[in-house]
Amino acid sequence: MKGTQMVYVHPAPIRVWHWVNAAGFMALVVTGFQIRFAEIFSFLSLQDAIILHNYTGVVVIADYLLWFGYYFATGKIKIYFPDLRTFVPQAIKQAMFYGYGIFKGEPNPHQMTPDNKFNPLQQNAYLGLMFVFLPAQIFSGLFLWQVKKFEGYIGLMGGVKFVDTIHVLLFYFFAAFLIAHCYLATLGHTPLAHFKAMLTGYEEHHE
Amino acid sequence: MKMLRDHLRWWSLDRMYASQLLNTLYKEKVTMNINRFFLIKTICFICIFYFSFNSTSYAIDNADCLTCHADEELYRTSEKSVNESHMREILYVDEVKFNNSVHNINGVTCVDCHADIASLDYNENVPHAKKLQPVLCTTCHAEEGDAFMHGVHMKARRKGITMSCSACHDYHYVTLLAGESVAERENGFCLRCHKPFQSHDWLPQKKAHLAFIECTVCHAPDAGHHVHLKFYDLVTNTFLSGNDVLKILGIGYDDFMPQVDQNKDGIINNDEIETLFLRLRQKNVHIIFHAELVEEMQPLVHHVVKEGATNDCQECHSPDSPYFKAVTIVLTKEDGTVDHYPVERAVLQGYHTSHFSALGGTRVRFLDKIGLAMILGGILVVLAHLSVRIVTIPARRHTKEGHKKTTTGNKEIS
Repeated sequence: MKGTQMVYVHPAPIRVWHWVNAAGFMALVVTGFQIRFAEIFSFLSLQDAIILHNYTGVVVIADYLLWFGYYFATGKIKIYFPDLRTFVPQAIKQAMFYGYGIFKGEPNPHQMTPDNKFNPLQQNAYLGLMFVFLPAQIFSGLFLWQVKKFEGYIGLMGGVKFVDTIHVLLFYFFAAFLIAHCYLATLGHTPLAHFKAMLTGYEEHHE
Repeated sequence: MKMLRDHLRWWSLDRMYASQLLNTLYKEKVTMNINRFFLIKTICFICIFYFSFNSTSYAIDNADCLTCHADEELYRTSEKSVNESHMREILYVDEVKFNNSVHNINGVTCVDCHADIASLDYNENVPHAKKLQPVLCTTCHAEEGDAFMHGVHMKARRKGITMSCSACHDYHYVTLLAGESVAERENGFCLRCHKPFQSHDWLPQKKAHLAFIECTVCHAPDAGHHVHLKFYDLVTNTFLSGNDVLKILGIGYDDFMPQVDQNKDGIINNDEIETLFLRLRQKNVHIIFHAELVEEMQPLVHHVVKEGATNDCQECHSPDSPYFKAVTIVLTKEDGTVDHYPVERAVLQGYHTSHFSALGGTRVRFLDKIGLAMILGGILVVLAHLSVRIVTIPARRHTKEGHKKTTTGNKEIS
């Protein structure tokens, strides 16, 4: 298409990580609801839901290690860290776009490139997600998976109920995040543009 | 009953002692009502008369038995047959342990169980029959015996496995279990023969289940069960006995419930627990509740089953589970007896029992409200944004067309 440029922003390992992570998160949320509300939902037995939840958790952990290894090995991990000197004005600009400009058809102030994939709001969100929330969810999940094995650490955290609280609150957060994330993915130049990009690796840039 | 037994013991005093008592009464000219004195004198004479003709039927006190059985070296052996040759049967009874046993506390004497010992003849090497009849526990524990008859252990007996009462209970040193933890109960009983960690593979969190739930909660489903809440000191990492707790609070056992149950509804709720913990913190004692699911000390606990054991996860892991219906604070007394104080099950859904968590059964409810707010909030923000996007489609289209015209116009000019 004239005036359209295809930019390769999502390398294969990242696409694999993303879709495995997406499927894993979906499975974890569904089985999580079944486990927590076994008296309400009955699409799986409690025991099967726990087993599936545990295995999926292991897959998501392995997937996280793939993400971590790729980004550190390639040095691209820096795309998750915002530039503190420009962060505030750019974040305000981006928020103004999402809250106002987008409705008027204004162009996105952030242009996605392989070295600058995320806008400041995304950087901030993903930094928290990938370096705080997801590791916290992984560790709390591991502790709950083997309560007796990790009872020392659980004791340090105040007891299994405190660990459970962290895991459950993050579970709800991630469930809400999935909704918001899927919606935000429709904010490309077409509603499916970002979905296609995450499948092919190429993002369309319009001049 | 105890009073009657004490009286009987008094009247079974040695004849000589009775005579001395009478002499003393005469010599010291004790001033007392003449009728009472006459009565005592008459009773004493009846006793002396009675014992004169029944020289061997005086009551045997525990002390008589312990004259020999307190000897740690006391054992017997038989060399009559190859089977028994050089096999020692220890006959020693640890007096201290026996004195702390539930039987002794309840006034059960040696000869109450060893009922075939009618007398002791110290002229003999062994003052009673060398071979005693087996003790019949069911003489007193009939209901326990009935429950046992229908259990898996009776089946084991039919297969030739020796399953007497003493296989689980030490005859002489049976202690009260009501205040004991799951570990103490299991170590003393089931784990003597069973290795539950080598089975129960179907059970998720096997170790946690076995640590917090007494075996018989699942394996004796006919008996009652409740959640024990024991005071655990976070600083010293020790359990506090009833005396410890009451000493800190400066009250007695009778004052505990009236002071803790402030609304006087007969059950302790979350707010009252909060107040109790605050009182303890003010005394510089930092407490949590150690919760465990244990069996009530009922005869039916002896009806242990294998196949009929509970193995449906949702029986426990649901908010309405009957397993968490009865929750009690336990204050253990020095003699091993306990006082139970009923507590609302909602306490299990809070953080005072932070080490006790059963999926679904004890979940912290307010987390679900926060979660609902998060998810609904996410959905509402998305719907609101989407709605504005849809509503503003004509405006964007207009802007886009205007932009196209401008671009085309610019191109034509150029």
